[in-house]
Amino acid sequence: MTNLPLWLIPLFPLIGTVVLAAISLASTGSKKGASEGIVGGLAVLFPLLAFVSTVVIGWNMPTQGVQETLGTWIDIGSFKASFGFLFDSLSRIMLLFVTGIGTLITLYSTGYMHGDRGFARFFAYINLFLFSMIVLVLSDSLLLTFLGWEGVGLCSYLLIGFWNADVSNCKAANKAFIVNRVGDLGFILGMITLAMVSSDLLSYRELSAFLRDAANVELVNILLPIFAMAGLLFFIGCTGKSAQIPLLTWLPDAMAGPTPVSALIHAATMVTSGVYLLARLSDLYVLLPGVMTVVVLIGLLTAFWAAVAGLFQNDIKKVLAYSTISQLGYMFMAAGVAAFDVSIFHVFTHAFFKAALFLGAGAVIHALAGEQDMRKMGGMLKKTPVTACVMIFAFLAIIGFPGFAGFWSKDLILERLYVSGPMGPFLYMMALLTAVITAIYMGRLMVLTFFGKYRGGEESEKHIHEAPASMLIPMVILSLGSIFAGFLWAGLIPGANLFEQTLAPVVGQAQAAFGHASVHVSPWLFAVLGTIAAVVGMAVAWKLFANRRIPLPKGSSAPEGFGATWTFCFDKIHGIVISAFRVLAWVAENVVNRFVMMLQWLVGGLGELLGDFASGLQVAKVRLQMALSLVGVIALVLIVLVYGGLL
Amino acid sequence: MLLHVLVLAPFVAALLVALVGGRGTSAYRLSLFSAAVLTVASVALIAGGDATTTAIDWFKLPGSDASVKYLLGSYTINAWLVFLSCVLSLAALVFGKSATPEGEFKNFSVGILALLGTMNGAFLALDAVLFFFFFEAMVIPAALLMAAYGGKERKSAAMNFAIYTLVGSAPMAIALWYMVAKSGVTTAEGLFAFLQGQSIETQTVLAISFLIAFLVKTPIFPFHGWQAAAYAESPAPLSAILTGAMSKVGVYGILIWVLSLFSLNETFFTTMLWLGLATAVYGGLMAWRGTDVKKILAFSSMGHLGLAVAAIFTLSPKMFPAVLVLLVGHGLSAGSLFLLSGVAERMTGTRELSKMGGLVKSKPVFGFLFGAAGIIALAVPGTAGFIGEFLVMLSLWDVGPLPTLVGAICLVLSAAYMLRLIQGVIFGKANQCEENPVHLGVLEGSVIGAFLFLLLLFGLRPGIIYENRTPENPETSVPAAEVVPADSLAVDSLALVNESMNTTETTVQTTDSLAKDSVKANAEVTAND
Amino acid sequence: MELQAVYVQILALILFVIGLLTAISRRNVFFVLMGVELALNAVNLSLIGFSKTLPGDLSVAGQIVPLFTIAVAAAEACVGLAMVILIFRNQESVDSDNYSGMKG
Repeated sequence: MTNLPLWLIPLFPLIGTVVLAAISLASTGSKKGASEGIVGGLAVLFPLLAFVSTVVIGWNMPTQGVQETLGTWIDIGSFKASFGFLFDSLSRIMLLFVTGIGTLITLYSTGYMHGDRGFARFFAYINLFLFSMIVLVLSDSLLLTFLGWEGVGLCSYLLIGFWNADVSNCKAANKAFIVNRVGDLGFILGMITLAMVSSDLLSYRELSAFLRDAANVELVNILLPIFAMAGLLFFIGCTGKSAQIPLLTWLPDAMAGPTPVSALIHAATMVTSGVYLLARLSDLYVLLPGVMTVVVLIGLLTAFWAAVAGLFQNDIKKVLAYSTISQLGYMFMAAGVAAFDVSIFHVFTHAFFKAALFLGAGAVIHALAGEQDMRKMGGMLKKTPVTACVMIFAFLAIIGFPGFAGFWSKDLILERLYVSGPMGPFLYMMALLTAVITAIYMGRLMVLTFFGKYRGGEESEKHIHEAPASMLIPMVILSLGSIFAGFLWAGLIPGANLFEQTLAPVVGQAQAAFGHASVHVSPWLFAVLGTIAAVVGMAVAWKLFANRRIPLPKGSSAPEGFGATWTFCFDKIHGIVISAFRVLAWVAENVVNRFVMMLQWLVGGLGELLGDFASGLQVAKVRLQMALSLVGVIALVLIVLVYGGLL
Repeated sequence: MLLHVLVLAPFVAALLVALVGGRGTSAYRLSLFSAAVLTVASVALIAGGDATTTAIDWFKLPGSDASVKYLLGSYTINAWLVFLSCVLSLAALVFGKSATPEGEFKNFSVGILALLGTMNGAFLALDAVLFFFFFEAMVIPAALLMAAYGGKERKSAAMNFAIYTLVGSAPMAIALWYMVAKSGVTTAEGLFAFLQGQSIETQTVLAISFLIAFLVKTPIFPFHGWQAAAYAESPAPLSAILTGAMSKVGVYGILIWVLSLFSLNETFFTTMLWLGLATAVYGGLMAWRGTDVKKILAFSSMGHLGLAVAAIFTLSPKMFPAVLVLLVGHGLSAGSLFLLSGVAERMTGTRELSKMGGLVKSKPVFGFLFGAAGIIALAVPGTAGFIGEFLVMLSLWDVGPLPTLVGAICLVLSAAYMLRLIQGVIFGKANQCEENPVHLGVLEGSVIGAFLFLLLLFGLRPGIIYENRTPENPETSVPAAEVVPADSLAVDSLALVNESMNTTETTVQTTDSLAKDSVKANAEVTAND
Repeated sequence: MELQAVYVQILALILFVIGLLTAISRRNVFFVLMGVELALNAVNLSLIGFSKTLPGDLSVAGQIVPLFTIAVAAAEACVGLAMVILIFRNQESVDSDNYSGMKG
């Protein structure tokens, strides 16, 4: 059966970008801007087409996947790279939810962005983002992935700073881009390290084949230090993109962007690309137990730290941002114990429930005309019932309530952590503790937002309204996903492991190679413990926040674009690094530059001095000069006569 | 023929424009037309591959029996640089219409065309004295234009520029005279053959004399004293040419007239490598602190060119395509940023970053172009800048991880200052009244659009730039892998350079091979390290 | 009686010295100019004198050079006078000691 070409998938959003950008630029002259109906329709159409083509291609995909090479990119003899796409089970899953959730969130945005002056521009960015994200997951080589990798970073920058009249939004966007750039350096240097062995290794297939080939075992062992360095560098790239310690400060600030952006980019898709990369390079990482330990520890620390930080936020979006960081930490923990399929599964379920949570939060903010401070919310359950239901389902999913999507994926992570080795029980305990904290801060969010009494002003209470249908439909679909997506791999139900089977051709061999300790434990025990954690957390949250008076915020409650209210010390550490560079720059300008300038003036002054001296020798009398020149001639003649020349 | 046209026609065009007289429009049309024709000619030059003219005796150099030849030749590198100078001059003329005072455009265009001729001459000359002639000559129109149409401090900036660059090339003149007097030849090949017979010490002294001229022109730290003021005070179209094409003469000179001629020892290369990297970091830091839009761009250019110079002195085989793509990409992106910053200056009436802002709201098309140009200058993958910087990093890696790391830091710095620049110019609250009469013309906008398109095109198909198009080996029959990038002259002599380096017991690490079998050998090499 | 070449040279020398002394000692620029012209012509005379010492054919060259010099001197005198007049207009003075504009 003939199949569609792979390049169709990224092509659609790219066309969308160009068309919408053209509309956006063309409509700048007119007062009203382009028709929102047409723009919105186009904006949803192209991601939808990409989704449909993904489904069609994915349906007909052979087990080993499809690889397509489009053409040469760079070829300078010793370094070669080409444009090529690889569609296998891993990219299929990623693409399905990227395009699927992307379409839903685009639809939601047509409602959310209604009336904004930059309506067309917004959707041009969104389409560009989807294009980059598709390239990221669909490419068959690291270099092309990097194109998508920086591309999504760029779109993230553009969308965080979407409301660019406010400089603080721009600063948050700059911060996101620059912190990501630091991570991207890890990616670039990792690629260069691999290219040092051979530029062919930048291709995923070649890399896997090289590492798996039994004939290369000796060679691989010799090269292991290089691979370890590359692995570590790629992981630095992942920490930047996926907001892990130490490069995580940008994500809370990134909430300055419009809420659909936070849902799409900073929760569901872009930030999970680090996890995707680890899974993609699973063959490399399983060879590097040292690096894997680093990954799991970073993941653990991040998950725990972000969960604690989430407890202290008052901005509803920032709570969700920290929760995203924390969940990403879970994913990295799973990847760090070589449970790549589980980590991708959590990416998958997380995309549903976190997107639902963000969209729900967006609907609440929309209903409250831009209010993001949870202390001024409350009682929204009655006023926006559909939104509340969506949020509640997603909430149950994220805390791991039995049956919901998050339950299955988190349960699998905990189980894999426990059996991972000597550190297993410790990791498991920490992860379980984090799960309790997750339930607490998420419970706090739900309680403050939806229960109790409305704490905002009388005036604003009248304007509270449920979101329009274009926003509600995607939310409901996503909440259904956050209920049922978990059954693709329900550990407790025998046979319900479709997800695992799908991913096996890509990561199965690598995971088998890593060699799990064969500790046999009952999955039911883990399920029960996980459930207890969720319930305990919920109970604590209810007890702490349900009946307590919430202190009203002092002063302005406007969303702070820059500088989260409670970020522990990481902003400080970044500040120190930045200050170090500022000092360096100061030295460069005020010491080095001054010194160079001084030398320059010194030389110039010396020249001027010599000139003054020479001009001092001039006599101002024409006749005297003539006489002197005569004397000179006579002297010359005499010298020639007496000595027969000077030489 | 094409070569003669590219070098001589600009002067003829300048004369014609000077003679037409009358109103500004005829001068405008004529100069634009001639620049467009020259741009087409430069594209034809690139497409035609390597070419040389027959040597014509020009004059006898006093003090030697060497006869200076009027000899031009093109190969991949200088053909692209000629393209840059032509296309930037065209853009400068387009933007110059509104950037110069009423009725002054004629003189401006005469200057730009003369400058174009001298730049093309410097790029294409195969005779050392001819090169030096053009190299010196280009200062004059540039300084005059700067002094005539620049900003407030234009006189002193132009003086500084002229004196600095002319004094900087004095050692080169002496070294050149010495070499020519001794050898009796002036062509590149002849001088190369002569220098092979000289001791390393002599060659080093001569090379340093040459190098200083190029380091000043590029400029490389610590010879950059003239640059910031000159770029900032020049009229923006001239700044675009200065950074986009003229500074490339320095890099080109280092590549062709220093590296290809002289055999040098490793200390020299290492010093220059670190000097280049120091320039890159210094430029980045200064740009980060800058408050003047054009000064930020000037230092950013300095940083990029420092990276290019550092890459040159890695002597890695990847260096030629790396430097070439970096130079072409930088020429186009820095050129468009300078041109746009000139428009921004007229829109807001200031060059101070803190006093600008909000242009994306009041001038959406301008804002879009400025933002796009800025983002492309960040070396985002898919643009020519990325290919250039990535290949430069690959070349640096052949020397060691530390230079690569320094190069990588420059990437972060460039993100920091460029985003600051974008934010300062087009984002935030508008500081000027909405009813601003200055607009970006259609032609001006399309020039920038074309530049950005080219940058994207080169980013996706960099092969367009570094592939060799010499007619005798048509690329259709040669598989892409066998196409030797960069020019034969430089590669040949560089091979000799490498050879002589090996005799002085230095090793250039070139751990890059494609064949699987050689991976093993490499692995052992690196593991032994 | 044949004119001895040495007398011509003596005359040329006397004329040259007179010209030079005039140029140096007089302050009026016109006299300076005249002195210079006189010195120049003394040199011409000297050339002709020397040419006489040569045999017929070769002496032609010695006579052509002065002709050439006279032509050049005429042009030079034109330019020189024009310059002097211009300077006079600017400075309102024919005193060469007042002309010190070239000093640093």
